[in-house]
Amino acid sequence: MVENIVLGIGITALAGALAAVAGAAEDTESDIGSQGDPNSQVQLAPQMGFIHRIFNKAVSGEPPAYGLWCALGAGIAWVFLIKDVNPVLALILGATIATFVQGVYATSGYLGRTASLAKFGQPVYIDILKSMLSVTMAHAFVAVFTTITICYLMNAVLGHPFPLPLLGIVWGIALGAAGSATGNPFYGKERQYQNQQFGAGVPISASGNIVRYAEAGQRNSLDNGWFSSKLGGPASGICFGLIVFLELWRTVLFEHIAAGWGAIIVGFAIILVFVVIDRWIETYARKTYGPYAAPEEANL
Amino acid sequence: MSALGAKPAAAGDIDPISSVIGIVLAVVFVAIVAVLAPVALMPLLGIILGGVLIGFGVHFVPVGGAPAAMGQAPGIATGVAMLAAGAGLAGLFGGAWAAELGVVVATVTGAVGGGLLMAITCMMVNIIYVFGMGIPSASGKVAKDPITGDTQPEFKSQGTEGHGLPFISFVGGVVGGLFGGAGGTLIYLMLLEVYEHYLPGIFDATAAQIMPVAVSLAGIFAIGMFLVNAVLAAYNITGTIEGPHDPKFKRFPRAIIASLVASALCGLVAIMIVVVNLNI
Repeated sequence: MVENIVLGIGITALAGALAAVAGAAEDTESDIGSQGDPNSQVQLAPQMGFIHRIFNKAVSGEPPAYGLWCALGAGIAWVFLIKDVNPVLALILGATIATFVQGVYATSGYLGRTASLAKFGQPVYIDILKSMLSVTMAHAFVAVFTTITICYLMNAVLGHPFPLPLLGIVWGIALGAAGSATGNPFYGKERQYQNQQFGAGVPISASGNIVRYAEAGQRNSLDNGWFSSKLGGPASGICFGLIVFLELWRTVLFEHIAAGWGAIIVGFAIILVFVVIDRWIETYARKTYGPYAAPEEANL
Repeated sequence: MSALGAKPAAAGDIDPISSVIGIVLAVVFVAIVAVLAPVALMPLLGIILGGVLIGFGVHFVPVGGAPAAMGQAPGIATGVAMLAAGAGLAGLFGGAWAAELGVVVATVTGAVGGGLLMAITCMMVNIIYVFGMGIPSASGKVAKDPITGDTQPEFKSQGTEGHGLPFISFVGGVVGGLFGGAGGTLIYLMLLEVYEHYLPGIFDATAAQIMPVAVSLAGIFAIGMFLVNAVLAAYNITGTIEGPHDPKFKRFPRAIIASLVASALCGLVAIMIVVVNLNI
């Protein structure tokens, strides 16, 4: 019993760490490919006369995309596992094949999206495709491999009833949701609109006027990946890592207390802690940054 | 009256004719199950309740879509259906794990799983906005936060509809996650009950032997039905919503009717695949 709990805690910690890596890789991958909501600005820019060299491979939102890739990777790994292949090798093979599928989507996504902008004078840059593709695929491999490894640990070690592909869908969609929610504003506002004022939202009138020039030459998506990996990526990693870790932690340690109610009570307590932290963050911002205009002038 | 000649209904209105048709269809679907598989009647009602919980819960989730990614509108910068799916499926994961502890415990466990994902995600959104971008939260739809009473308009930067997640939106996100997680788990548990009852007969196997198939089938259908209900609610919301204080929230009765009908149909299909034995 005690050994089981100790093993469970160890697996929980490992899964949390893997999830943190997965979240960071997922957000950086999606930002290099402009996948998430900021792709709307990359797509809009040429229509407003701003020709750019930003990679845009969005074919869907991040959650369904990662749901597909993780389910694919987990499904292939599952087949290899049934054939008694070594689990590590099976997971690597699953993630590799899923990554190639991601590469196919990224290629067709970039060519299709950019070609549709031909009437606005936006060229299809083959060098951009060649240099960005391998980088997004590398990040996708890290994200998919770590996520399906978490799924494998949940299934094989912790004994979750769902088969590996189903866990792949569930945690792939959750990974995409966490990564897009946390990372998108940092890429969309803070990077694409670096020319706008810091500490304020982008005025709707500035839509499409994304930053297109770097310190030397034109900006490309590798510059954006470098920027995102400084905050948006790690924050997404912490977000997904906390989700996986706390979900497993409360179940492994407290599910046996009071016929399952222990995990529920601990879950509510954790939610309450996050409510308090969020309220503190909100009031901190209001006090520290202050209002944009005097209250009496404000009108809806 | 042709469809082209019909007057367009106001955004939040319920169309009485289509609603009645929908409810009649739902009653027919339930009646089919009651006649062909009386054992599956209560599970079908559970599935419908789960679908309605999901459809209702999605309306609480503050979703800002693309404008939120530029700090032009409050909410979480992703799509309605996707975010709700992320939360609901995380809940389903926890709920399925606790399935053997009974329907009530498993459903509440699922709810907490969904709420936990939303609480963490919403907090990280505010951390990015406040500490990464220096932008305080502000609602574009209300002058004062209904819970905290904080005034909103003066914290809205020029040329935007607001940004970040005010406290009411944060709470809405958590409540939406709770509903989504509970609904998804309830659908899963009900389907599992049906499959555990019928599959041993079809495969001529013991209950333990069919368990992996039953769990997989129930899981796949639960995820599918979750997405059906989340997407229906997303169509009802049309784009973005700030949470329970947003005027669009009042449209939820229409989504409940839609979820009820869609869940009844999906439940009927999910049940009939094991009830109708074609002997092929």
